Amino acid sequence: MTDTTSTALLEIDGLHKRFGDLEVLKGVDLNVAEGEVISIIGSSGSGKTTLLRCVNLLEEFQEGEIRLEGEAIGYREVNGVRKRLPDKDLSRQRSMTGMVFQSFNLFPHLTAAENIMLGLRKVRKLGKDEARAKAETWLGRVGLAERVDHHPGQLSGGQKQRVAIARALAMDPKLVLLDEITSALDPELVQEVLQTVKELAAEGATLMLVTHEMAFARDVSTRIVFMEQGLVAEQGPPEQIFGAPKHPRLAEFLGRSRT
Amino acid sequence: MSEFLHQLTLSQGALLSGVQVTIYISFLSIIIGTAIGLVIGLVLTYAPFLARLPFRIYVDAIRGTPVLVLILAAYYVPAVLGVSLDALSSGILALTGFCAAHMGEIFRGAFQSVEKGQTEAARAIGLTFPQTVRYVLLPQVIRSVLPTWVNTGAELVKGSTLLSAIGVGELVLRTQEIIGRNFMTMEFYLVAGLIFLLINLAIESFGKYLERRLTYA
Repeated sequence: MTDTTSTALLEIDGLHKRFGDLEVLKGVDLNVAEGEVISIIGSSGSGKTTLLRCVNLLEEFQEGEIRLEGEAIGYREVNGVRKRLPDKDLSRQRSMTGMVFQSFNLFPHLTAAENIMLGLRKVRKLGKDEARAKAETWLGRVGLAERVDHHPGQLSGGQKQRVAIARALAMDPKLVLLDEITSALDPELVQEVLQTVKELAAEGATLMLVTHEMAFARDVSTRIVFMEQGLVAEQGPPEQIFGAPKHPRLAEFLGRSRT
Repeated sequence: MSEFLHQLTLSQGALLSGVQVTIYISFLSIIIGTAIGLVIGLVLTYAPFLARLPFRIYVDAIRGTPVLVLILAAYYVPAVLGVSLDALSSGILALTGFCAAHMGEIFRGAFQSVEKGQTEAARAIGLTFPQTVRYVLLPQVIRSVLPTWVNTGAELVKGSTLLSAIGVGELVLRTQEIIGRNFMTMEFYLVAGLIFLLINLAIESFGKYLERRLTYA
């Protein structure tokens, strides 16, 4: 177990998530400190993606608490009854975390720059010029300075995903969630996206990523979290997780991933 | 032929006022009907079941009723209820209600066809639901709705002819009055048909123009 001090940026306590009768998360506890890069691994159906989506409030959860910088997100207690926060509060809390999706989800009617500017203008309330400048800076940082005014339809998969990363990061989120961001990409486009993530990690961004790229996870992460059947089964620094897995299912999972 | 031209000159005022009424009714109905239809489409797509129900019933009921019946109902039912509504207002009410139901269903389909990831990405950035609709969904929905919208516009222009049944002086009623005076049945129905054709061609080319302007790579 990594030391979980009170300085944690994100605290997840006893998180339960059910889809009808199916319990996907069965009491997840996880703390993330500022500057950490956490890779969540595990077989499909283990709850990795659902966990990320709960943190970004894209999913409701039934029990437990998620705190971001100490603030409980998504729910509050009114006279002992747990209630989902109103849309306005959810939006504010969502804007504190950035999310990058497997399928990019760029807005097709907007250019690369406009995709980034939308949140800056409407959520961060920046002026047009300021938002534009920031969008251009971020597109430059992900190596797409030449593609500022292109529409998503004119970009390759890897370029789209880099725009999506820039869109999330330009909002200055406390925490960035990356959900299998290379899974929909052609193999030759995977590296350019992973390289971008690596640069962000090196700059000190706090990242939480769900990935199937084991070599990348090992390389970039400060901590690996192995999920199994809706629970955190094992976690630790990459050397320990990959070098000396303790949980039998983890050893089995890693064995399968290598082939 | 010269007799026809003579009669045409005599009746041009009546024809023109008929055209004006037709365009006025169609225009008002499609604008108001589309606005209401947008709200209906949003409710049908995103509201919980119970809130959706009355809208669903409205849409299905209206779409399952012939336009002529709607027009007659809008004309006679208010009178029975003690509300006096002139023929023109009744006609606009009927066509607006018709347009709203159809556009509601069209908007619902368009909202549902936008990928779920679009809404999720918008929410992830921190946009509220109204902002998501305004800046992310609507621009995409409008593009996909456009061809059907233009079609509905043309349907309304044609549907407005049924208002002659309740005595609204639109193009068909005016034409019938003209024919009643000069008995040139064939000629003046042809004239009216030609005018309708022109109006609908204009609507269609306006739609094509919008479609061109709104396409993106």
